[in-house]
Amino acid sequence: MRNTILLIATLLLVGASVADAQSPDDLFDSRTLQEVRLYIHSSDLAQLRERYLEDTYYPADFEWRGIRARNIGVRVRGLATRSPIKPGLRIDFDRYVAQQTFLGMSALVLDNALKDPSMIRERTSMAFIKRMGQPAPRESFARVFINGSYEGVYALVEVVDARFLAQALGDGLGYLFEHKYVNGFHAEDLGDDYEAYKLRFAAATHRLEGDYTLYAPIRELFREVNQPVDGVWRERVGWFIDLNQLVTYVAIETFLAEFDGFLGGSGMANFYLYRPVATNVHRLIAWDRDTTFQEIEAPIFARVDENALFQRALMFPDLRRLFLDVLDQCARAAAQDRWLEAEIWWTHQLIRDAVGQDTTRMFSNEEYEGAIGHLLAFAQGRPAFVAGEVAKAR
Amino acid sequence: MRAIFLLAVVLASAAPAAAQYPSIKAGDWLRVDFRARFQGDVRRSEALIAEDDSSLDIARRRVGIEGRLGRALDYQVEYELGLNEWRDVYIDYRQLKALQLKAGIFKVPFGLEENTSSTKLDFIYRARISSRLAPGRDRGVSVHGRVLKNIVTYETGIFRHDGDNAQPSASARVFGGPTIALRATAEPFRDSTSKFKSLQVGGAVAFANLPLGFPAVRARTVFGASFYNSDVWVQGRRQRSGLEARWRPGRWSLQSEYIRVSDERRGQSVENGDLSPLVAHGWYLSATRALTGKRSRFGVVEVASRYETLRFGSNGLAGEPSTSARADVVAGNTDRAVTLGVNWHLNKWIKVQMNLVREDIERPSIGPSPDQAAFWSRVFRLQLTM
Repeated sequence: MRNTILLIATLLLVGASVADAQSPDDLFDSRTLQEVRLYIHSSDLAQLRERYLEDTYYPADFEWRGIRARNIGVRVRGLATRSPIKPGLRIDFDRYVAQQTFLGMSALVLDNALKDPSMIRERTSMAFIKRMGQPAPRESFARVFINGSYEGVYALVEVVDARFLAQALGDGLGYLFEHKYVNGFHAEDLGDDYEAYKLRFAAATHRLEGDYTLYAPIRELFREVNQPVDGVWRERVGWFIDLNQLVTYVAIETFLAEFDGFLGGSGMANFYLYRPVATNVHRLIAWDRDTTFQEIEAPIFARVDENALFQRALMFPDLRRLFLDVLDQCARAAAQDRWLEAEIWWTHQLIRDAVGQDTTRMFSNEEYEGAIGHLLAFAQGRPAFVAGEVAKAR
Repeated sequence: MRAIFLLAVVLASAAPAAAQYPSIKAGDWLRVDFRARFQGDVRRSEALIAEDDSSLDIARRRVGIEGRLGRALDYQVEYELGLNEWRDVYIDYRQLKALQLKAGIFKVPFGLEENTSSTKLDFIYRARISSRLAPGRDRGVSVHGRVLKNIVTYETGIFRHDGDNAQPSASARVFGGPTIALRATAEPFRDSTSKFKSLQVGGAVAFANLPLGFPAVRARTVFGASFYNSDVWVQGRRQRSGLEARWRPGRWSLQSEYIRVSDERRGQSVENGDLSPLVAHGWYLSATRALTGKRSRFGVVEVASRYETLRFGSNGLAGEPSTSARADVVAGNTDRAVTLGVNWHLNKWIKVQMNLVREDIERPSIGPSPDQAAFWSRVFRLQLTM
């Protein structure tokens, strides 16, 4: 009897210490193919698939390495990547349990990488953005099981929230806005009404604060961007956005040949705006990078003229020089020790078998292998092309 | 309508105390008593009131007949004018004292206060366990009677559903199907001269099956505002159980009840397994004291007080309390209320009641007044009964 009690106590202690020892670093350890299990009532799962265009939350349990978070909320996420067969999912650990976290996180994204035949553009891009010194969500890959059934390979994506900001920027107290795509916005002045800005910039923190507090600095940003007087433009726009950070951010996107980013083909897309409490100056944080690695020879000034903010910014010689410098740094960082090529190769090796078993994805194995081949060619060819274009532009 | 009501009150207050209710008799084989009841409430609260009309509200306009047909068949027909719905509509065959048969629409035999006529209540509103957890009226048949030298009273019946208190007014929420109920009370000292002669104790159970859905049994404050939404999937058996006691020594009256409603949640966990039942339960203890005798020229005045609780939750163990519709540990809520009241029976026609209520919500964030856990309410009622 005594031995049994001791054994149980030991097991409990060992179990507790295993759970305690895990951290987000383990979950986002990109060298490991994770395994995530979701448990959703069969009727809720049927509803989730049937109503995959809605943002309705369903209760579920989430499990990773034997650690189970109960009563989490799960919903379908995405815009063009919504699918009833392989739904992209957002997990909110605190949806139904006040202040519940998982490894300290209140939310997590399971990205279905639906439109990316290689499935690794997103993670590789985020890793590169971080390599270039910009904040970006951590990502890893996981085999995802729902009610014991294999649902395929998903990217586990760290959510951009106050916790992320505190870790990445040392300040999580400010105002965070998620950009929402509405009718091709190219940084035009949207007028005095806050509603136009609320539609495009959803408050992710401080949600209960008034429109003036939340949106007046954003409205002023785009008003100043579109002022005609060049002499005061730089100073006034600089009151509302960190222009150096903007140029750096866009240069990295440009190196990655992003088609759906700040200079997206259909207007600005896929970023967060962050504004610390004591200032009106915003900065950009990257999000959703599954349309990077387009053409190897994608022009370095592609669509610059379509964006009212960036087009004016590049008229200033120092900002243009910064843009070219960052592009050049990107080319060197990608090529150094064939970093980008290696990153693509080992990620491919990590997920290859799991992808082969993934019957929910939209693309065949041949298309997957072809996409990986394109990424490797991009990693080999893009640095030299960009470096050449930068030299020409100087 | 208000003018008619006030005119009726004036006339009734001037009527002689000895006046009788209107009635028709035809020998020994037919008696028809005409009944009507009008009442108006004025309500104020620091918190939200469900129907946000806090002015004079003719809450009840009921008319009906009751009486006897032949030697053993009692009947009652009552209609609510404002809501355009039938209330009690039944016949009661009373040939044998120990075995009587009732059929129609009437109160499911469950709960002391819920089965007390609203004209005889000590407070303006029934305790919430009576108005929310006890079944209320439904269509059915029952057998009832008095046995063991009238010491024990019983009633058991089967009903189409589990009562109008549990049925949604206009929503897709679910309620019980065919319901079996049993209530038994005893007056153990009935034939003694002890001071406990008037003591009555009893218990009741009721069973029904619930289809899949969110339950219609809801958590409401005294004035009907929600303090918990019951958005939890249920399916399986609904079991009600209740205990009751009443004692009326002299001018005092003491009464208490406990009611528990347990709804099974079969197959409702995220893994399609069973969850712990959703449980709603509560109790009350009330006391009244008459300040005047029954023959006082000013009518009868009594004071009353009641403490009550109503809690929604579960007894689950898996995980933290959660608002998920599939949580084993339901993050429910509790409302505790103290009611102080004065009842003034001017004569047999007119009753004036005033209640002051202090409610305390355990989780005010989901209650009617999110920034305020405790709040006061008051209500005044003028009731005319014919």
